[in-house]
Amino acid sequence: MTFLILLIKASLIYGGLLVTAAVMTLAERKISARIQLRIGPNRVGPGGVLQPLADGVKFILKEEITPDGANKGIFRLAPIMAAVPAMLTVAVIPFAGETVIFGLDFGLLSLTDLDIGLLFVLALSGLSVYGVILGGWASNSKYSLLGGLRASAQMVSYELSLIMTALTVVALSGSMDLREIVEVQNTGNPLAWNCFTPVIGQVGLILFVIATFAETNRHPFDFAECEPELVGGFHTEYSSMKFALFFLGEYCAMTVMACLTTVLFLGGYSVPFWEDAPWMVELATFMAKTSFFLFLFIWVRWTLPRFRYDQLMNLGWKVFLPIALANLLLAGAFISLT
Amino acid sequence: MVVVQRRELTFWERMYLPEIVRGLVITFKKMFEPRVTRQYPEQAMPTTEVTRGQPRLAVKDDGNIACVSCGLCEAACPAYAITIDGQETDRFIEREPERFDIDMLRCILCGFCEEACPKEAIFMSNELELANTTREGLVYDMEQLKRSTSTLQPRIDYVRKINDRW
Repeated sequence: MTFLILLIKASLIYGGLLVTAAVMTLAERKISARIQLRIGPNRVGPGGVLQPLADGVKFILKEEITPDGANKGIFRLAPIMAAVPAMLTVAVIPFAGETVIFGLDFGLLSLTDLDIGLLFVLALSGLSVYGVILGGWASNSKYSLLGGLRASAQMVSYELSLIMTALTVVALSGSMDLREIVEVQNTGNPLAWNCFTPVIGQVGLILFVIATFAETNRHPFDFAECEPELVGGFHTEYSSMKFALFFLGEYCAMTVMACLTTVLFLGGYSVPFWEDAPWMVELATFMAKTSFFLFLFIWVRWTLPRFRYDQLMNLGWKVFLPIALANLLLAGAFISLT
Repeated sequence: MVVVQRRELTFWERMYLPEIVRGLVITFKKMFEPRVTRQYPEQAMPTTEVTRGQPRLAVKDDGNIACVSCGLCEAACPAYAITIDGQETDRFIEREPERFDIDMLRCILCGFCEEACPKEAIFMSNELELANTTREGLVYDMEQLKRSTSTLQPRIDYVRKINDRW
């Protein structure tokens, strides 16, 4: 019975993640079209809603090309390395509290409830950079290699700030368990959410969001791709489903990062002014909060130009890291005072 | 040598984040502005009498075209797109084309044929679409080129107006 419940949960959560990723590709194109006063895809299905499906079919039917000089094994491994960690991290995200569907007690609506959930997410999302680096290196093309190199340097420098800011939340909540972090914030009063902790919360939220942008290789930090300089960056030589896997990975990573931001700073599934809300309301609240961050990902992408590489490094090491450290210190002081 | 005078950024601007928020607000407002895309096959390109589309032959009320196969348009055509074979006719104009072909793949829509025509027989229509699966299919013969005078009337009036200037 527990196995069955786990199976249902897994298919629900992974199905949800993949559907979100697919919807994101459509939303990306629709919102960018809106911002640029265009209409966007509207031919497949009513209003273009089936566009991701058509894209998927197209990706599968395309020819797969492996460059002559490529390291075949690693070339094939890289897209998997990029997509799998991003999909795995969703396992620890709590989507809703106690869940009962048709009399079946599902418990917490997350796949696993690890004590070190946050550590798990950070460790795995750190792994996803290997896909980019290996893909860039194995393609045997200078543009790919440059893209991979940039990605590695960028991700390492922003990972630090990301972890430091996450640690701030750990210090505030006193736990690395994502469920615990949510429950501490779930008091019915939205002011208990971490983002409303004076100064620390706001600085933390802004730093964390910017760091997730860099971590998921999104604009304005998408140096791994950087079309005008590097053709396509790390995925220049990739085609067909391998290319699609990179993008699936990117969109899954975005989704997970948006979920994580919600959990850490916006109280996860806690509903404002309703402490013991039914699971459906909690899930809806969680999705609404996450959608805001997903929208922010797209919104920022179509607003800002790309940074220069040295500016990115300056910002990461000379601005973000000191602020993140100071914020962590401040959080320590705050906790010892209250 | 040009020395670019750069404005000193204010503290607020150097904080960077407020300026980003300002940019985000601008793009957010843009999302609700009317969109400029034209859905082409459904919403055709608007044309006026000045639009210089593909050349067509004007069919008069008696069902004939005014062409006397003088060959002026053929001679004026810079792309050699027009081919005319003439023949005699019992009608008052004495000569009429037996064959009047325009290779639409060669036609550059310059409108010289329209200018050269002394009989007001050929006009630039507002038809812009041109597609076929074979090259032969795009060599239009006389029957395919014929259009009623009423459909070409705005263009005919326009051409007369222009020609009356000199």
